[in-house]
Amino acid sequence: MSTSFSLALAGLVGLLPTLAVPSVLAAERCAVDDMDRKVCIEAPAARIATLSPGATELVYAAGAGEKVVAVVSHSDYPPAAKQVQSVGSHTRLDLEALVALKPDLLIGWTTGNPSEQVDKLEALGLTLFFIEPRDFEGVATAIERLALLFGTASEGDAVAAHFREGIAELARRYKDVAPVEVFYQVWDEPLMTVNDEHLIGKVLTLCGGRNVFGGLDRLVPRIDIEAVLASNPEVIIAGGMGEENPQWLTPWGTYEHLKAVKQDNLFFVPPSLIQRPTPRLLEGSQVVCEKLEQARARR
Amino acid sequence: MRRMILPLAILAILSVLALLLSVLVGSSSLPLADIQAAIFEDGDALAKTLVLELRLPRSLAAFATGGLLAVAGALMQVLLRNPLADPYVLGISGGAAVGALLAMIGGMGGFIVSGSAFAGALLSTMLVFGLAHGSGSWTPSRLLLTGVVVAAGWGAVITLMLALSPASRLPGMLYWLMGDLSYARTPWYALAILLATCVCVIPLGRSLNVLARGPLQAAALGVAVRPMEWGIYVAASLLTAVAVTTAGSIGFVGLVVPHMLRLMLGNDQRLILPACALAGGILLTLADTLARTVIAPEQLPVGVITALLGVPAFLILLHRSR
Repeated sequence: MSTSFSLALAGLVGLLPTLAVPSVLAAERCAVDDMDRKVCIEAPAARIATLSPGATELVYAAGAGEKVVAVVSHSDYPPAAKQVQSVGSHTRLDLEALVALKPDLLIGWTTGNPSEQVDKLEALGLTLFFIEPRDFEGVATAIERLALLFGTASEGDAVAAHFREGIAELARRYKDVAPVEVFYQVWDEPLMTVNDEHLIGKVLTLCGGRNVFGGLDRLVPRIDIEAVLASNPEVIIAGGMGEENPQWLTPWGTYEHLKAVKQDNLFFVPPSLIQRPTPRLLEGSQVVCEKLEQARARR
Repeated sequence: MRRMILPLAILAILSVLALLLSVLVGSSSLPLADIQAAIFEDGDALAKTLVLELRLPRSLAAFATGGLLAVAGALMQVLLRNPLADPYVLGISGGAAVGALLAMIGGMGGFIVSGSAFAGALLSTMLVFGLAHGSGSWTPSRLLLTGVVVAAGWGAVITLMLALSPASRLPGMLYWLMGDLSYARTPWYALAILLATCVCVIPLGRSLNVLARGPLQAAALGVAVRPMEWGIYVAASLLTAVAVTTAGSIGFVGLVVPHMLRLMLGNDQRLILPACALAGGILLTLADTLARTVIAPEQLPVGVITALLGVPAFLILLHRSR
């Protein structure tokens, strides 16, 4: 009895703003997504579905965590996101489960979600907002734009501002430091790295590093050991699978004449901190900058 | 006899040249003098590492793998009396792939992936052997059918594993499936097995020649057909398992190299088998050299190159032979 009463009350309260402000259009919130489309919704999104692990993280960061009703697999941060119902992987969405959860806003991934499924979702009348930050500013504005759509602007703007300031602080501190030649290892078999366009490449640049493979065309080029030895980096940074580093750095130790080995500059940076375009990227950047600073001290 | 020595001598010279070329070029351009110094005296440490620790083992591994696959393909074609047979037709690469991918999903690397691939290849071999043997009569067509169906089963398991794996592990898995010499660690056991097989199989060349004409003729001419066939099956499986363990499932070499050689040299197994060991090695060594230098420092999957080199070469030969 009391439950249905409070529900009814909540419903009434929910209606109040609409009643009070007759021009619904005035309350419409619009934001431009990363596909340059203007997306408008009439009321703050209340049932959010995230279609990539990165999007999940950004939505929580924007302060709308409790409004998330659906995520995709590998949405492991923040831990609360693991409790939310998963609707498949970002490459193969379970459309039925997704639609049944009646989301009013879907946060998509421009290059990660299959376009056929995206088209289907739009044909079903669902609203999609695409996010794919390609630089630090993109992360900050993504949080702001999402927060606007969620009606959590105060929280989201603060997070974005903190992120922006943190990155600006690093940029100031490492603007004129001595450059360090870095090789970043994304994967070991096959051996893969990133170029300067990649967000990780941008972190290296931010910290006063010079990515030895920065000039390659592909975002995530596949290279061989020979190329690494020939470029003779001063620092090798490896990611890994999950949070553990399955001995990716050990094999480099056998190449004793390598500058990074001589100066003991083989570092592990938890991939979750820098491989996703989310606010944790600030923490990851701080770790990378510290490692490069260590390398400078060992000269 | 002389008819056999000349082609083998030419192939041997080409093998040495291919190996030499693959050691001389790489993703970083080393001056010739440095390479010479690295090999013959105490040269620059970097050049020494590049040439002796990276390029040479990889080139030898490529050579051995190519040789193993070509010999295994030639044996399978004799055994199954089917020109479409290749080392993978009986599901060995499928079993190996399932083993390797399982290890990769479990977050393993290096020797565990190779070991798991080898175990998968042996498991598949025994499975096909057991099922084809069954209780009733045994024929190559029964073996072929069993192998093809088992291979299809492995294929489904591989697809399932790829579909369920986290995206971050997919590149490694796909490169393994395409075949890739960067997985090769040490070439020695592959080379040793290639050599041992050649020594064991070449004396059997005459019997193989007879067998290739059909089991009845072979039996009439005094060949112990059943033990011979199982021997070929076990040998070809072992060769394939070692090749797949060394470098993933590299396609095309095992199918086309034996055919190319038959078109050029005739179908005498005494000549074809050692020629396959050399020509398969040459093709894969050259293909791998291209794969790691064409868009250096980026790398291409070697399987693409073997096909791109082999398809036109084979088609030209086939066209001319009419």
